[in-house]
This record gives sequence, C-alpha cells and structure tokens, in this order.
Amino acid sequence: MTHLNREEIQRYADGELDDAAAAEQHLRDCAGCANAVVAEMQLRRAVRDAARMMPADAVRARVRRRLFGSPNTWAWAAAAAVTAFVIGALLSAGTVGTLTSARELADLHATILASANPVDVISTDRHTVKPWFEGKLPFSFNLPELAGTPFRLLGGRVVYAHGQPVAYAMIGKGGHKLSLFVAQTALPARGMRGFASVSWRSSGLTYVLVGDVPRSDLEQLRQLW
Amino acid sequence: MTMSFEDLAMPLFPSLYGYARWLTGEAHEAEDLVQETYLKALRGFGSFRDGTNFRAWMFRILRNTFLTSRSGLRPMEPLDDEAAEEIAEKGTPETHFVNRANGEALRRAIEALPLPFREVLLLSDVENMRYKEIGEALGIPVGTVTSRLMRARRRVRAALEGMR
Repeated sequence: MTHLNREEIQRYADGELDDAAAAEQHLRDCAGCANAVVAEMQLRRAVRDAARMMPADAVRARVRRRLFGSPNTWAWAAAAAVTAFVIGALLSAGTVGTLTSARELADLHATILASANPVDVISTDRHTVKPWFEGKLPFSFNLPELAGTPFRLLGGRVVYAHGQPVAYAMIGKGGHKLSLFVAQTALPARGMRGFASVSWRSSGLTYVLVGDVPRSDLEQLRQLW
Repeated sequence: MTMSFEDLAMPLFPSLYGYARWLTGEAHEAEDLVQETYLKALRGFGSFRDGTNFRAWMFRILRNTFLTSRSGLRPMEPLDDEAAEEIAEKGTPETHFVNRANGEALRRAIEALPLPFREVLLLSDVENMRYKEIGEALGIPVGTVTSRLMRARRRVRAALEGMR
C-alpha cells in the first residue's frame, strides 16, 4: 500500500476506514503515516477533553422535574451514576492542563468498550488471537490459556498510545470486560480514575490490565501469566 | 423489552446539554433548548420507529429546534473557501502534534468554527458518533461528514499553529 492520504489518515484514526488491515500493514513500516495517525488521534482526544461540557446536577434535575414531574429519584440517580462514571473516565473535567499520559490507558479502556467495534479480531481462542498480532506489532507477547478460569478471551486489536503501537486484548469476566495492554516501553498506569489496574514487566514488555472490577480479580488474572 | 421515553432519553441529557451549550454559547439558552428538545421528542415519540437510531434522532430534533430558534436564525457563515481547501487537502499530510494542555486555545478555535464544521467536529470527537450516525443527526451524506470533519480539524490545527 502507498502512503495514506489525508482522508485515509482521518478515517483510520476515526475507525472509519474500510480496509483498515491494509492501512495497518503500511503504518507498521511508515513512520510518517504512523505519526500523522497519532497526531490525528491526539487532536481528536484533545478536542474531546477541551469541548466536553457537563450540566450541573441542578440543571438536570430542574429540566427533568419540568418534563416528568416528581422524579423517580432512585432510577435517575442510578442512571446518572452510571453516566457520570463512564463520562468521568472519558473526560478531563476541565483540568486539561493537568492531563497526564497516565490516564490515556483509562481513556482507551473506556473508549474501546464504548465503541461499536471494540476489537478487530473476535475470538475466544488465544491460538487465533495471538497469531493475528504477528506482523502488526514489532514484538510478540504471551496470552495465557484461560480455559477453566473465570476469565475468557474476547478478542484483540492494535491501538496507539504514548506514540507507539500497543497490543490490546479484551478479556471477559462475568458481565465485565477487562482490557489488557501490552507495549515495549513503560505504560504509566497511575491515576486510573476509578478503574482498577495491575501492571508488570516481563521479557522486556509492559503488561497493564484495566477494568472496573476489584483489583483482586486483576491480580488473579495476572497470576495466569 | 420496551423502554419508556424517559428511560431512553434522560441518559442522553449530559450529551444533549453539552451540544446545546456549544450551539448557543450560553447556559440558560442551552437549558431551554434541551428542554424544548425533550418536549418535541416526547410529542413525536409515537412516530419514532424502533430500530432507527434514537440518539441521532434526539440530536436531530435538538439541532432543528436550534436552527428555528431566534439565535439559530442568525445568517450562516458562507463556506466559500471550500475550493481552496480541497486543493490543500490533496497533498501529503504534514504532521502537527497538538499540545493537549492548551484547552483554552482549543475551545476558542472550536468556537470560531462555522456551525457546519463545529457540529460535525463535536458529534464526532466529543459524542464519539460514527460518521453514519452523524449523517443521520445532521441530515447530510457520509461523504459530507468526512469532508467537513477534515476541514474542521484543519482549521482547528491552523488556529493552534497560529498561536505559537
């Protein structure tokens, strides 16, 4: 594949490129195009962080009361809590200046879970998922056998974080979806905004697990490596 | 499972409000606009077909309500420099990394965008909508979504570059 043009870079960064596989093949070899993709994704995130505006609770309550009368407080509070949690993970709450790269993983975790096509290879079989990454990443990594554990593999994709390609695997536990990130350089994993995370180094790679489950669940999963 | 209008619509409140805030540029107007949107949607809910995109439908009502409101009736800025920008888009892209710390400059750049660009950028980057969904919300083809988004980001980048 030749260099990506402006539109292809935009569509790739937005997850709208039809032939993403061919583009990824090219991005692996072409630093110029890969940089352009990262820049596009950065701008996208920066716009999101800068432009997100949240109504005050009082505004929401006022409009709701005018529309639907006395509130079913319980259900609304629950919905609001979920919304606030998800959005809390996605936005920087007006503190763009203090946004550290540490939160990128929490952002990515939340964004991937919220997206319509969260993974590019959908399989519960690590013998399918692992080879899929070959040629898409400049490194290879280990996925443990999850059969017989409370965890199950759901799929994988390549993401960009901290300016480098990062392997992403989605792992299910009960109704929860956990994220595994694997990269060649350190991925800061502090300040996860309410998500639990566990990270470790192995064979020169950094592994980070992120999820909205008790940290002990992530520790249990980590023990499988 | 059939969900009530309230169950479906109220979780969209923060999104609709944020969008209304960017359209109107003012908190009280935004609140009124969102309330009016909910009232219209409630009245029209019978005509909403299951299986179509509810979120896009709500945003479409909000936008149409805004465009027929007093502040929405201000004349739209003409998009007369499209040809020049098209030419610039043909070339190999240069890479400009955005300084994420500069939220205030970014907000000013978004504010300065003509409405057709601003709304596409917000629905894509803030609301995380797919191009198809944006097209449904704005009543424009996906190709137009793509090109407007490109121009919106180009202008934002240029505005930030100009600040350096």
